[in-house]
Amino acid sequence: MTDTAPALSVRNLHKSFGPVEVLKGISLDAQQGDVISILGSSGSGKSTLLRCINMLETPDSGDITVAGETIHMQSRPKGNRPTDRRQVDRIRSRLGMVFQSFNLWSHKTVLENIIEAPIHVQRRPKAECIEEAEALLAKVGIADKRNHYPSHLSGGQQQRAAIARALAMQPKVMLFDEPTSALDPELVGEVLRVMRGLAEEGRTMLVVTHEMGFARDVSSRVIFVHQGLIEADGKPHEVFANSKSDRFRQFISK
Amino acid sequence: MDWNFLSETFVSLIAAIPLTLSLAGLSILFGAVLALGLAMARLSGIPALDWFARSYVFLFRGTPLLVQIFLIYYGIGQFPAVRHSILWPILRQPYWCAVLALTLNTAAYASEIIRGGLLSVPHGQIEAARACGMGRFMQFRRIIWPLAIRQALPGYGNEMISMVKATSLASIITLMEVTGVAAKLISETYRAIEVFIVAGAIYLAINFLLTRLIQLLEYWLSPHLRQPRPLLMPTTEGDAP
Repeated sequence: MTDTAPALSVRNLHKSFGPVEVLKGISLDAQQGDVISILGSSGSGKSTLLRCINMLETPDSGDITVAGETIHMQSRPKGNRPTDRRQVDRIRSRLGMVFQSFNLWSHKTVLENIIEAPIHVQRRPKAECIEEAEALLAKVGIADKRNHYPSHLSGGQQQRAAIARALAMQPKVMLFDEPTSALDPELVGEVLRVMRGLAEEGRTMLVVTHEMGFARDVSSRVIFVHQGLIEADGKPHEVFANSKSDRFRQFISK
Repeated sequence: MDWNFLSETFVSLIAAIPLTLSLAGLSILFGAVLALGLAMARLSGIPALDWFARSYVFLFRGTPLLVQIFLIYYGIGQFPAVRHSILWPILRQPYWCAVLALTLNTAAYASEIIRGGLLSVPHGQIEAARACGMGRFMQFRRIIWPLAIRQALPGYGNEMISMVKATSLASIITLMEVTGVAAKLISETYRAIEVFIVAGAIYLAINFLLTRLIQLLEYWLSPHLRQPRPLLMPTTEGDAP
């Protein structure tokens, strides 16, 4: 691990579901502090890309490197699989994942959700985890909900709790999989504000999103995925203003 | 009503309650362990294990418990291999035959209840556990099992109550549990109605307590389905199951 290594590097990623090839060779590097918005119409493969990065889907081929450590894969007749499951667990613990449907653990309070993995996966002292969790809850603006169960929170509050849960692992890279798509329009803003705050702190973030405003104003880079390939890639003002891709212009005009 | 006779019967039958409880308790306990194994086998995705568990459930759910008790009590002693095995001192006793039969029987039903519970765990919550780097065992222990057991508990409560009643069949193989003692009293007194009323009342009382116990457990395991707790209450039970 060196300081110059990208926080995250994806090389030539391929993934098929049955006969459908969803990712057809995607490569991207995220440097420390990059906020990359990944855009694309539904079915373009953008969520699959994100899910391959932390191995929630197993890629068919390609390399994934997190903070200098490449996930070892072996090919098997029934498809690829990671050589060392513990390495995957370790790398996952360095990637914070935020899901479209929050996926908070329903039998744990907000605070318990946040301290669960730091205590049991990272084996950090409980008191320290609780202290940190409270700071995170204050940061995402739901400190008063610490003893509530997820089912007693609004969608926006649940998603902010989920962001705090991901942050509690002190991840190298945050992955957001359409974090506002399941929210009522009036709740989108509170989640985007938290994400903007994280971007301003210099966190490395990959955000699959349909929020054009966020992509344009907050991210440092925009990637447009179309039919399993990166169709456009660059700084938001460049990509939005004069993309050479007809498909991207078509996509944003909708 | 002959209150005197009823109270005498009650006193005799009370002495048999510990045996009834120990038959039910042990078979529910062993049965739960076996049921978990069977449910895991069903969900393992390994064809041989899946097939074994399916056949097991088919066999033990599809035949009467009474037949199973007879087969174990009278049947397995026929095999010299069993008579000469180290398990024979156990298997020759009617008590352990009854426990074995009840265990094998309840495991078949309970495995389906547990499988239902495991299948009810929302996929996204398991994915969240994987995404934060939990290994398989930790995912199961910390996330999947606590959620599954909450879903399975109402159905499992039914099964436990059934087991308490099913222990009455053990009287057939000479065990003097509540029904066994009741049958003996009837053969001595020919007063079937009074004796069976008392016996029935005892089962009712046991199951009343069991039902309350299960309700309590359900309440205790489901704080997330109740109204929010008042603020400022310190929550540090992150280690609670």
